[in-house]
Amino acid sequence: MYTTVKIINVILPFLYFLTFSVYLFDFIKGGKQLANSKRIFLFVTLLIHIFYLLSWTIEFDHPPITNVFEIFSVLAFSLSCAYFLLELFTDIRGTGLFIIILSFLFQLISSIFIPDSPEVKEVLRNRLLGLHVISALLGYSGITISAVYGLLYWMLYKEIKLNKFGLIFKRLPSLEILEDLSYYSAVIGFILLTIAIIIGIIWLPSAFPNFTYFDPKLVGTGLIWIIYGAGIISRLLGKLPGKKVIVFSIIGFIIAISSTIFTNFLAKSFHSFY
Amino acid sequence: MNLISVSINHRTAPLELREALHLNNEEIKEFLRELKGSLFNEGFILSTCNRTEISGIPIDPKTNFKDIQKFLIDRKPISSLAQENFQNFFSCGAVNHIFKIAGGIDSQLVGDNQILGQVKEAFQLSEDSDFAGYFLRRIFDSTIRVGKRAKTETEISDGAITISYAAVQLIDKIFSYLNKKSALVIGTGETGELAAKHLKDKGIQNLAVTNRTIENAEKLADDIQAKIIPFQFFREYLKDYDIIISATSSNDLILSYDDVKSAMKLRNNSAMILMDIAVPRDIDPRVKTIENIFYHDIDSLKIIVDQNLEKRQSEIPRVNQIVQEELVKFFTWYNSLEVTPTIVSLRQFFEDIRTEEIEKIKNKINKDEIEKVEMLTKKIVNKLLHQPTVELKKLSENGTNTQESALVIHAIRSIFGLNNHKDNKK
Repeated sequence: MYTTVKIINVILPFLYFLTFSVYLFDFIKGGKQLANSKRIFLFVTLLIHIFYLLSWTIEFDHPPITNVFEIFSVLAFSLSCAYFLLELFTDIRGTGLFIIILSFLFQLISSIFIPDSPEVKEVLRNRLLGLHVISALLGYSGITISAVYGLLYWMLYKEIKLNKFGLIFKRLPSLEILEDLSYYSAVIGFILLTIAIIIGIIWLPSAFPNFTYFDPKLVGTGLIWIIYGAGIISRLLGKLPGKKVIVFSIIGFIIAISSTIFTNFLAKSFHSFY
Repeated sequence: MNLISVSINHRTAPLELREALHLNNEEIKEFLRELKGSLFNEGFILSTCNRTEISGIPIDPKTNFKDIQKFLIDRKPISSLAQENFQNFFSCGAVNHIFKIAGGIDSQLVGDNQILGQVKEAFQLSEDSDFAGYFLRRIFDSTIRVGKRAKTETEISDGAITISYAAVQLIDKIFSYLNKKSALVIGTGETGELAAKHLKDKGIQNLAVTNRTIENAEKLADDIQAKIIPFQFFREYLKDYDIIISATSSNDLILSYDDVKSAMKLRNNSAMILMDIAVPRDIDPRVKTIENIFYHDIDSLKIIVDQNLEKRQSEIPRVNQIVQEELVKFFTWYNSLEVTPTIVSLRQFFEDIRTEEIEKIKNKINKDEIEKVEMLTKKIVNKLLHQPTVELKKLSENGTNTQESALVIHAIRSIFGLNNHKDNKK
């Protein structure tokens, strides 16, 4: 099992790169040759990845969520998996490469730096932790995808405004669809983040004696939650039309990433394990 | 194959001439009736605003292009019509020509979306007139297949190539749920009318038109079930519309920056598309700086049209490839029609000689010996005919090289007298 895990760990970045290349080729060439087959590449990659995550869990007796490089692999999986489902249900096929490239980068970093036999703190073996981390990761995947679609919206908006009708104009779906994709990804991300926060509030005080609500990571996550919540409510009330909702999504993502980096790597927190 | 075709098209004749020669369905039916008795065994006529084509298989092999040209000139006497306005095709060239028409690569606007439908209609008229025989039906099937393959396997018909359709294509890149959108068309001239019809086809339910001459607006509104807004008040309604297409003949701007700015304020800055397809322009181009306003004029739409035309041009070799493939398939079938009967006749010829000769010695030898001779002669005949049969089959598989197959088949049939063999026997 150990050898299998190690081999798949090496193979996964190549698989994501191959899938990304197929999506890129299709994006540039257009036509109908790869419209369906590229989806098979992604499906196979995801199957192998889920097998890898399960094998890891069995081999090391804990899910791969106990250090940042394990989490990167789960993040790579959840991003592409979310995109795969999105492509399947909406049949919007022109945006995959912009998401899969992120999965490739996360998996590449994970595959290179993931420790061989990680030491796992007892607190990280708690069952609630699994739910907490998974929902938080899916929440962050949601807001990442929202930001990617926001960026694509912005690029297409610029092309249309400036009368540049290039590849972006030809291949991307309409602005209205990109806006919807960005908004609904943010809503799903927000809901999952809310679940992660609720589980955290229940579990953290009992798991950590030095728990405090003023911990930088908790404050950062709370801030992100408030920003997205305010954005979603404004949009529901019709106060964030068109481009503004996109700007909101991109700024929200930048704050979320900055906050995560700051609280995980720079600030001193009871909530930092890596 | 002696399919013969004469064509008057955008390469050979000016628009006025093509228009003058255009035949409506009644005229086509009448012409087909006349052709049936006089010139062709089977045939069809294709007539659009850009081309008129008469094709068929002549009753008399001596019938030539001039006879068909004369047929048309006699019935459509136009003084400016001259010999050089006709393009003539024969046999393989004629099939190739109709394949290219159906593939959309012989049209003035490459990849013309309507031509395949027009070709189908021409074939249907021929069928209805009982003027489509065994060969033409096969040509019809292959032609329709070329048209369909060109549409599905290439991008020859993709993208807008008219300004009004380019406007709609651009709208598609901004809004998706067009059935929930509202649109206002200002100006009901030819361009405005076309744009309004495209919008209706795209599923826009809430469609309104406005025009200085209210009668023209009423006529278009009736046609497409749209609302009418009095021209003097249309600025007050701007805020209610997501898409505004302006195509008036006004010499001055009819929508100012401030008109649009205040409409946007009233609609909470919700995205609005302004398509100015008038020359000179109707809308102040400074409106493009307003957020969530998508303003486009004729120049920017022309960029889309030019790109699409370029793309279609680049698809021509792929359509030509399809035409070639279907030509090979068609002539393989056609050659096999000639080859198979020749093989059958040749084998029958040898078999008749064999049985005749055996009949002659039947009474001179015993039963066992007859069986042996039967077996031996059959083997000899089969061996003798093996190579010629293989070579003949190869001819039918070679596709369009009809000249060679015709020569070989003619030689074999003459040498062995296959054409008269049955008659001689009788």
